[in-house]
Amino acid sequence: MTPSLAVLSRCLAALLGGYALTYAVIAALARALPTDPVDAVIIASLPAFVVYTAAILWAFASRSALRAWVPVPVLGLPLALFAFWPQLLERLA
Amino acid sequence: MKQTFTQAMAWLHTWAGLIIGWLLFAVFLTGTLAVFDAEIDHWMQPEIHSTPVSQLDAAQRALSYLGDHHADAKSWGISLPTERSPGLTVSTGDRRSGTRVELDPASGAVIQPRETAGGSFFFRFHFTLNLPRTFGVWLVGGLALVMLATLVSGIIIHKKFFKEFFTFRPGKGQRSWLDFHNASAVLMLPFHFMIAYTGLVIFLLMYMPAAVDSLFKGDTQAYAKAAGNARQETPRGDGGRGQPALPANLTDLAPVFAEAEQRMGPLAGLTVLNPGTSAMRLQVRPVLGNRIELSKGLNMEFDGVSGKLLKDVTPSRASLLTQKVMAGLHFAQFGGYPLRWLYFVCGLLSCAMIASGLVLFCVKRRRKLADKPVHVQRWHRVAEVLNITSIAGLSIACVGLLWANRLLPVALEQRAGHETTLFFVLWTTSLVHASLLPTLQAWRQQLASAAVLCLLLPVLGLFGPGHDLQRLYLELAAVGIGLLLLVAIRRIDRKVAQAGSAAVNAKVLGAKS
Amino acid sequence: MIAGWIASGLLLAYGAMVALCLGLDRHYRQVWGIAATLGRYRLLRGVGWLGLSVSLLCMVAAWGWAMGPVAWIGALSVAGLVLTLALPWWPRMAVASAIGGPLLSSAVALAWVLG
Repeated sequence: MTPSLAVLSRCLAALLGGYALTYAVIAALARALPTDPVDAVIIASLPAFVVYTAAILWAFASRSALRAWVPVPVLGLPLALFAFWPQLLERLA
Repeated sequence: MKQTFTQAMAWLHTWAGLIIGWLLFAVFLTGTLAVFDAEIDHWMQPEIHSTPVSQLDAAQRALSYLGDHHADAKSWGISLPTERSPGLTVSTGDRRSGTRVELDPASGAVIQPRETAGGSFFFRFHFTLNLPRTFGVWLVGGLALVMLATLVSGIIIHKKFFKEFFTFRPGKGQRSWLDFHNASAVLMLPFHFMIAYTGLVIFLLMYMPAAVDSLFKGDTQAYAKAAGNARQETPRGDGGRGQPALPANLTDLAPVFAEAEQRMGPLAGLTVLNPGTSAMRLQVRPVLGNRIELSKGLNMEFDGVSGKLLKDVTPSRASLLTQKVMAGLHFAQFGGYPLRWLYFVCGLLSCAMIASGLVLFCVKRRRKLADKPVHVQRWHRVAEVLNITSIAGLSIACVGLLWANRLLPVALEQRAGHETTLFFVLWTTSLVHASLLPTLQAWRQQLASAAVLCLLLPVLGLFGPGHDLQRLYLELAAVGIGLLLLVAIRRIDRKVAQAGSAAVNAKVLGAKS
Repeated sequence: MIAGWIASGLLLAYGAMVALCLGLDRHYRQVWGIAATLGRYRLLRGVGWLGLSVSLLCMVAAWGWAMGPVAWIGALSVAGLVLTLALPWWPRMAVASAIGGPLLSSAVALAWVLG
């Protein structure tokens, strides 16, 4: 992988992958919180930018430009499944 | 990229900082100016006088004007004179499309203040960069987010965080720039984190709708309704139950204002719904900033005929309160003028922090580049030019807006548009100027231009109409900033002199050997 | 009165920063030319933290417990930066100005107690 491609990969992993990961985390957190839905929305959303910042740092700290993408499917997918399982069930039924 | 964690963070901090730096400086400078947006509005409309009139008297004059001219309107809006905005404005119809008229609070006569972009230009520019609203909000949000990453990476790479807490060694070139960048970043760290994070929280659910998507299936209306934020319906214009409304007189405002002030603090305005009828309602709203929590949309509703309280302020639930407090910390409308000035100073220091980072990038590379290939030198030149344009050029444009406000003819059509056009013309001129001249010379000339415009602002004010104490404070603040710019110019001169004498010494030594 | 508390809070924040700064070896040497004992550094830092706490109380007296801490943090930052910029050029004066905080806050507190 050329250096430029590596940088591009990390940038995309940070900004796009980071957004996707954050989205999954927040959605899952909202689903998991035992509070009233309105409260859950706010409480789950407020830490979004901490998560996103961490995702950006990971994308540039990870040992390779490909590794930068690992959290997106590995963490993001299960969290998204957990967050949206009612909607998924509706679709499948 | 096989490097250590710290090296990776250093790379991230440098390049992320550079790429967002130019626009981020613009966001911070206009945001700092927007702290005083109402005061800048006031300065840019010198036709409006600040008179010591009570809000009750002003309201009565507004009501009699509205009664004479707009008796049939469905709703009347009145913006009362406040500490920051001494004007009296009346409006009918929709906030955006209805008519707005400026009245003299003392006499009730109509005033025609000059149409101006006002301090609101800086406010809007701050969160949209003058781009179409949604696109601009997302771009500025992106800048804020990357700023958070830049802050954290900066902390990670700053090894001597506590040892060098108070360290500043001037006159040592690159070392001094790094010292200043470190000092301003570290000492203001709470402010930086707070302002970036709370800025993002203002548009929280727009940037991150994940929770609404998972819990409310993305139905924002359903969420708003559940949160109690649903738009209030205007009460029916009839007497209820389909009966026609009878004409009725407005209740005495004094007890209404007293009760509203007691519950909400100083008042900003009121809306009269269905004026002149038995279905009249009064919505009284407070000045933003009687508490940290952002109180936009907060109001108390009274019956227009009897003065009875119909809808009291409801305390927000804890989660929404948290979000509103965070938004309020960003909007900085609380705590009166002392806190406003504190935010202003912190904002300026943040601008200095960003600027020092951008300058440090170029100073670091200036020396090393003599033997690098041409295309690398060209990119460095681009960075130098963008530095000058985004820092000095934007400063010229901002103070230039105030000059345009006083120099453009009052009766000019689309005056506000012309003011902003001049703002962008100045900024573009700065870019061209910076591209054509050597770096230090361009810095010196542009900073000097900004300084002159700032220092001479009181002259503009004193020779124009409508001078008062509030406008004088603004001019004095501009003079203060102008003096700081002079200090910066002096240091550039000293550096040029040093470089000049160093070159002479080198020649002399060369000649001797 | 509120203005008095605000000014006290600001000046005390500055004074506290001076104390904390002098509690660091490199800056003590920068100002006085010689080093001090570890005990003295600890004392200076202790005084500094005390000053910070009293500064917070002044800000709370002016603005209450919600806005006060916000103002306090801002004051600390600005005071710290002012000190950092003043030290290289006017070290003795920067340190001497620290007396303003204790003086003014004592006067304001006295006025508050008596009034």
